[in-house]
Amino acid sequence: MSKFVSLVTLALAPALSALGQDPRQIILEVQKRQHSDSQRYEGTLEVTSQGNQVATKRWVYQRIGSFGNSKAILRFTAPAEVKGVGLLIVNHPDRASDQWMWRPAIGRDQRIALQDRSTRFFGTDFSFEDLEERDVDQYNYKLLADDGAMWKLESRPRKSSQYEYSYFWVKKDNYTFVKIEAYNKKGLVRTIDYKNYEQIKGIWTARLTEVYDVTRKSRTVLKYEKLEYNLPMKDDDFTLQALRRDL
Amino acid sequence: MILLRLISWPYARKHVLRCLLTTAGIVLGVGVFVGMRTANKSVLAAFNQTIDRIAGAAQLQITAGDAGFDEDVLDKIRELPEVRAAAPVIEATVGTGQNNLLILGVDMLGDRSIRNYDLEGTDEAGIGIDDPLVFLAQPDSLMVTKKFADERGLAVNSKLPMRTMQGDQVFTVRGIMKPGGLASAFGGDLAIMDIYAAQKMFGRGRKFDRIDIALEEGTPLENATAKLQALLGSGFQVEPPSSRGQQFESTSRMYALASNITSVFALFIGMFIIYNTFAIAVTERRAEIGILRALGATRGQIRTLFLAESAIAGLAGTCVGVLFGIAMARAMSGYIGGMLTEIYGVAQSPGDLTLDPWLIGTAVAMGLVTSLVAAVIPARSASRVDPVKALQKGGFQSLSEGENRARRRWAIVFGTASVAAFAFNRLWIMTYVGYVLAILAAVLLSPALSFWLSRALRPLLAGLRPVEGALAADSLIQAPRRTSGTIAALMLSLALVISLGGLARSSYDSLAEWMRIALNPDFFVTTAETLSSRSFVFPASLGDGLRAIDGVAEVQPVRSVRVMVKNAPIMVIAIDVSKVAKRVHLPPVEGDSDAMYRLAAEEKGVVVSANFARLHDAHMGEVLEIPAPDGILRLPIVGVVDDFSDQQGTLLINRGLFIRYWHDDSVNVFRIYIAPGADAAQVRQRILQAFGGQQRLFVLTNREVRDFITRLTDQWFGLTNVQTAVAVLVAILGIVNALTVSITDRRRELGVLQAVGGLRNQIRHTIWMEAIAIGIIGVTLGLALGAVQLFYSIEIARRDLVGISIGYAYPFQTALILIPVILGSALLAALGPAESAVRGSLIEALEYE
Amino acid sequence: MILLRGVSKTFEGKRKVTALDGIDLSIGKGEMASLVGPSGSGKSTMLNLIGGLDRPTQGEVELDGQPLSKLSDDELTRVRRDKIGFIFQFFNLLPTLSCLENVSLPLHLRGWPRKKVEERARELLDMVKLGARVEHLPDELSGGERQRVAIARALSVYPPILLADEPTGNLDTHTGAEILKLMHDLHDRLGATVLVVTHDKTVAESCPRTIQLRDGRVFADTRREEVRR
Repeated sequence: MSKFVSLVTLALAPALSALGQDPRQIILEVQKRQHSDSQRYEGTLEVTSQGNQVATKRWVYQRIGSFGNSKAILRFTAPAEVKGVGLLIVNHPDRASDQWMWRPAIGRDQRIALQDRSTRFFGTDFSFEDLEERDVDQYNYKLLADDGAMWKLESRPRKSSQYEYSYFWVKKDNYTFVKIEAYNKKGLVRTIDYKNYEQIKGIWTARLTEVYDVTRKSRTVLKYEKLEYNLPMKDDDFTLQALRRDL
Repeated sequence: MILLRLISWPYARKHVLRCLLTTAGIVLGVGVFVGMRTANKSVLAAFNQTIDRIAGAAQLQITAGDAGFDEDVLDKIRELPEVRAAAPVIEATVGTGQNNLLILGVDMLGDRSIRNYDLEGTDEAGIGIDDPLVFLAQPDSLMVTKKFADERGLAVNSKLPMRTMQGDQVFTVRGIMKPGGLASAFGGDLAIMDIYAAQKMFGRGRKFDRIDIALEEGTPLENATAKLQALLGSGFQVEPPSSRGQQFESTSRMYALASNITSVFALFIGMFIIYNTFAIAVTERRAEIGILRALGATRGQIRTLFLAESAIAGLAGTCVGVLFGIAMARAMSGYIGGMLTEIYGVAQSPGDLTLDPWLIGTAVAMGLVTSLVAAVIPARSASRVDPVKALQKGGFQSLSEGENRARRRWAIVFGTASVAAFAFNRLWIMTYVGYVLAILAAVLLSPALSFWLSRALRPLLAGLRPVEGALAADSLIQAPRRTSGTIAALMLSLALVISLGGLARSSYDSLAEWMRIALNPDFFVTTAETLSSRSFVFPASLGDGLRAIDGVAEVQPVRSVRVMVKNAPIMVIAIDVSKVAKRVHLPPVEGDSDAMYRLAAEEKGVVVSANFARLHDAHMGEVLEIPAPDGILRLPIVGVVDDFSDQQGTLLINRGLFIRYWHDDSVNVFRIYIAPGADAAQVRQRILQAFGGQQRLFVLTNREVRDFITRLTDQWFGLTNVQTAVAVLVAILGIVNALTVSITDRRRELGVLQAVGGLRNQIRHTIWMEAIAIGIIGVTLGLALGAVQLFYSIEIARRDLVGISIGYAYPFQTALILIPVILGSALLAALGPAESAVRGSLIEALEYE
Repeated sequence: MILLRGVSKTFEGKRKVTALDGIDLSIGKGEMASLVGPSGSGKSTMLNLIGGLDRPTQGEVELDGQPLSKLSDDELTRVRRDKIGFIFQFFNLLPTLSCLENVSLPLHLRGWPRKKVEERARELLDMVKLGARVEHLPDELSGGERQRVAIARALSVYPPILLADEPTGNLDTHTGAEILKLMHDLHDRLGATVLVVTHDKTVAESCPRTIQLRDGRVFADTRREEVRR
């Protein structure tokens, strides 16, 4: 799910540094290389909680537009209890995204308040905030290390966020994320690993993301299937009305 | 204090039974005090705890009375920078067979920033547990506490059927909360559901009951409160969660005051029993005191000795009393909690008892002070014993005439002052002063009165049985000290019983009259089996449906919400005034009947209940400020009527006004009048057939509603039964005590009686008759004082408790029941002492002393 | 008339005390005897047994040939009320009752009609020369007067047996002599059997017969023709 990758990437994107390479440029390059006009995939989420129980969910994800101006709809398809629940995300370049949830069983859409975005995204180890795209300029970046194969970057948000700062590891050869560690005041909150990179339509894409919630000792694995870029899509399919339509 | 060990201890050991009986008064007094207060406190504490636990991290709560408000308020609030999190809540209770279940409707998405849901581990199935997505996706989701789940044998994915405003629905347990924290709120009978599902279940439309708010760190509470208040307008209450507890406290204040009066009475009665016992002990131990004095004990030492004995007895009694009180509180807190829930509609379910060290401290102090005060006079007379006279055998000391006269004089002074206070009773304090003075006068007068009554009884008793009767009467006449305390105790107890009985009777009478006038519809269509539950509401459209039913002549929608008016939770009742006025003519207390209904119907005024007017000092013409979501509703009072709908008071406004100011056209109750000639049972059946299936709906007949209200009142007065029982019990203990003492005192006399030929039955009869004589005197004085006490009770109830003026009606029925009960009890109390009197060795009896 | 056969009385307690030890004694009808002995010799115990206030541990007490041991408590009371009058050292008058009422008490207990009771009580009080003080309470009387009331009460039904326990013990010499004289008079007039327990030598020697007890046994039984009155 490059969406998640990019989101998270962006959210935690690196910045200026004296170590030769400009960290902000690195992030911009990552964004550039992942650019696509639209995206679709079917995701499988596996949440492994502390007690080793596994819960599986599936969704279909569609995005139109690119960084800063994209809209996305995410709709659950399994298990049966949650089928049809949808989420509309409208990203803005200069401010936090708008998010709405649709619940077919009670026939109501509901705005997800900003204040609720640090909470977990539907029992996964992502937070709603992790779903947002954010502009590079909303963060300060610092290059911390360069081991030849990878850069280690630090990003600090300029606006309010649940995170204080994050560390990024970016592969130098193809400008892809390898790992992210996100910290709040108390310390490490989440780690995200990007695995199984593959080139799809010329874009290096991770086919698996693994999020680990440090405090809850819970792990979410997201697998991307049927991933496609640059499909033809209509803006009309990314509205509240569209969200209310069942699949 | 060597004296205590050498002198008092052997005496106490010799009179174990008497010591126990003596302290019984203190035990009961302290017990009732501790018990009632602890039960009350526990209910309050449980309520506060529930609020606290449910409030979670919320620092402020936004409400509009209990009426609820539109959803869009939430978005407004969330825009304030001071607000870190705002979580909407619907809070309602449903009966689920055994206990009430408190249902909390929350928005699962964001609620965790306010409340912490600590769930049990997932089970083998692995899915759906602790999964907010499933919880949100399925409106039948329910999260319950471990306690609730265990009691009902529920597990994850178990089904739980409930009646909702959309008919019967089956809910699914999707999470089980671990004990502690939120899960212990409302005694653990708690369930969480999605707020939008809750809106449907309870028929609330798109409304929230409350919004819980957590502030950004470092935001001063006052600033945030002021900003929120400014944002929302004064129709909303912006308060910290704790102030909800204060509201509840004010509603239960009345009950607390009533229980205080009882405890003070019980202690007062206990005081007389102690006084009695010590007075006797002094008489009995004159020789001993004489010897001590002869051996060089000072008056002070003797006085101290008796006071110390009393203090020890008081302390022992207090300790037992505290334990007894705790046991009593345990038994009563559930009852009180349930009653408050039903009467005030305030959900409560007490868990553990709350023991307040201050309360216990106060109780101990009260017990000690009571017993010390009781012993002051006996200790003084002990210290005045003349050693020379005391050592002469066969002497007999009776209450000195001087002492008696002094008491009578004081009694007259107090009595006069009490009457004088009555003249100034516009000042509330004067009512209480007059009350206390009247009781004091009665108490002081009681020895003289019992003396006269005994004398009056003598010929009667002697006529019945010459020897036994005369002896019994003489025993009373000659030893007033022995019985005056008992009689005073008996008198006070019975006065209490009479006043409570009278209060109950008068209340029932007034209530019956009100129900006859106000509750005259044939049916009441409600959302619950009881009228006081306001968790569920009907849509206004149901009214049209009901009107269309064949045989229904008129449908009157009623909406009632509790709103803070004059700092008290007042019931606002919205009705179609013009329609209701045609059917119901509540007698006006102030104002003109026609004018008040006309003005109210024109939405130019509010009609208030008499108890509101009295308790909150409101008068005709005064402009009331009623906070509503749409702003403050300002209406002049155009009339005052007797209305018993709510104990805090009611405001009647026109329904249209309510709909506009509250944006709420929902309905709590439909009052239904059937067409003349229509068959009531059939109409009822038709209503149920038409709507009963689709939604939660009950059709209560007029009779059922009246019975329900009567039952509530019964419950309320049920508490007074405890008080009555305590009063009667104390009285019986007093009689047993007096007789036991009397027999010890008269052992020789009874021995002589047997020696000169008295048969055992004759001895028994003497004692029985003495007991009955005490009973008769006590009953006579008690019933008389009861008349006075009832007067003050009604005054206090009217002024400070319920604000309802109830007519003075002496409870002759209660009095009639009391006579055989007390006389029978007296006889019963005499059986033991009488047997011990005939059992003892004659020789010892004759050589006694 | 009064017959004791092998009467013993022991008191169980921490220490077993034998108050009477196999007494055989007979006192004839109309006799007036004194019972003397040191403290603890069993005088009062013997009086109590004869008066039916207590029961012997062993042996039999017979009054007019009727053995008391077989009687129930109430039957014993009936014997007492019909045959025996008691006079106590401390008078044992009921302080709450007037002289008249005190004297009436045994008669009321026998269920006599009110009028007859009063007649008899006044007659008795006249007999003990207290006819003028019928309405007084015991507290208002002197010691001698109180004892006279007690005697009047003891005589209320003219019982065949009169038992007196130290009747003069609580009185000064002069008053004691008066009481003694009264008792002799009454004995002479009514012919009752009188048994007087006493410490007082004068009292003892005024009786035709003196029974001396020591350690629960009859130590001496003296009859004298000449009595000092």
